[in-house]
Amino acid sequence: METNNFSIETENLSLWYGDFQALIDVSVNIPEGKITGLIGPSGCGKTTLLRCFNRVNERYGNVTTKGQIKILGKNIYDEDVSLLELRKTVGMVFQRPNPLPISVYDNILFGLRIHSPFRSLTRTQSDEIVEDALTSVFLWEDLKDKLKTRATSLQLEQQQKLCIARLLPLKPTIILMDEPCSALDAKGTLAVEELMGVLSGTYTFLIVTHNMAQAKRISDECIYMFLGELIEHRETQALFENPEHPKTADYVQMRYG
Amino acid sequence: MNRSDPIYNTIALVILTIIFVLFWNFTTGTSDVEGRIASNEVVMDSLSIIYEHFYRMIPIFFTVVLFSLAITFFLEEWIPQQSWQYRIIERIIAILASIPSLVYGILGAYLLVIQSDRISYLTLIVTVVLLVVPVIIQSTQMAIQGVDIPVREAAYALGANRWRVIADHVLPNAFPVILGGIFIAISRVLAIAALIIVVYEWKITQLQSMISFGISKSVVILLSSALISSIFSSFLHKNSDYRTN
Repeated sequence: METNNFSIETENLSLWYGDFQALIDVSVNIPEGKITGLIGPSGCGKTTLLRCFNRVNERYGNVTTKGQIKILGKNIYDEDVSLLELRKTVGMVFQRPNPLPISVYDNILFGLRIHSPFRSLTRTQSDEIVEDALTSVFLWEDLKDKLKTRATSLQLEQQQKLCIARLLPLKPTIILMDEPCSALDAKGTLAVEELMGVLSGTYTFLIVTHNMAQAKRISDECIYMFLGELIEHRETQALFENPEHPKTADYVQMRYG
Repeated sequence: MNRSDPIYNTIALVILTIIFVLFWNFTTGTSDVEGRIASNEVVMDSLSIIYEHFYRMIPIFFTVVLFSLAITFFLEEWIPQQSWQYRIIERIIAILASIPSLVYGILGAYLLVIQSDRISYLTLIVTVVLLVVPVIIQSTQMAIQGVDIPVREAAYALGANRWRVIADHVLPNAFPVILGGIFIAISRVLAIAALIIVVYEWKITQLQSMISFGISKSVVILLSSALISSIFSSFLHKNSDYRTN
């Protein structure tokens, strides 16, 4: 399949919460298979933009969206788009680790069970899937004897990795991350970043972060947003070293924020 | 949940209590209560009256509980929280729940029973609905709102639809608190039933018989129901999920 190498393309995307306009004419292309960082001060619409991509935003009611979001070349606001399929393609990791309060094993299979016919998974299949998912997030060694424990009783770092592992059986193409490391300590952050580095070829990552150093370390491209507008979108190195826009310069050189 | 969980102990306790009460009723109760009420006959055993109608109340109670759970889930999961419909319904329920249960009891006893001179299913249903629905709705609302938003978001983001989220996550997590609310509603009904019997006897017989029969027994019922429900709630609280993290 010939793709244009962009996983996500938005065109003049505007979004309102009631009367408040949270996104103003955002047009952005996210490259495939890379890590894109979203930076900017609080309340500038980073998380809102992220949440648009799998339409979790709509749950809040009184949200109005205008413009287009194309994911893998398909506008996700078309009538015939199934939310189930969309959310299967676009996985999301949240700020606080939020494993479902069921066992580790069931956590990993939860997504798959939703998307496959009732009782169609055999025991051996599901065992394999769980092992694969946990291995790819480097948790298998730690958790192989604890598959039946409640996921909420794990360490935070393990929980966050589990949240990533939970997405993998669905074979998403895009993984959205909303400050995945803000609840973790330095070691946990490092572990999650390493994991992203390993997985980045296979999946497209989009990560919101408040941590400049982190954005610098892990992202290939960076987007700077300010008050709902997209100010600058460039390669990370270029954006940090010689930003084009004065507002970006102010922010990345820590003159404020 | 495994078999040694306190919740199984409490369920066993409930079943034992019910069996005990029924057994007591078979041995000490008298039949044809309605006839005696209609003919204003003296010596009414409060306990026997309560448990005479306890049988009738069980199916009613089940239906009413299911009904109020359905209302609550509709309210919390379907209606947008900012809409005026939601606010009106919530306010009405809050008012209904804050009215002392004695008022409903007297309403049931005087308006419906004494006026029509017999205890009918309709009476029971109306009274139980008024007594139980607001309380259960309020406690269930608390329980549903207590389910972590991140948990819901996680499930939605994995592609689960609303039914799936409710059945797999909201209900199991909220269940202990919902159950607690149901027990509180049960104790509310039992307590007010005991009180009403006292008032009822007073109306029909003399104060004397009320003192000798009614008060002592209704106090026993009140205390025991309070005790049972507090035991339940302490067990359930220990068992609830919110304390992890």
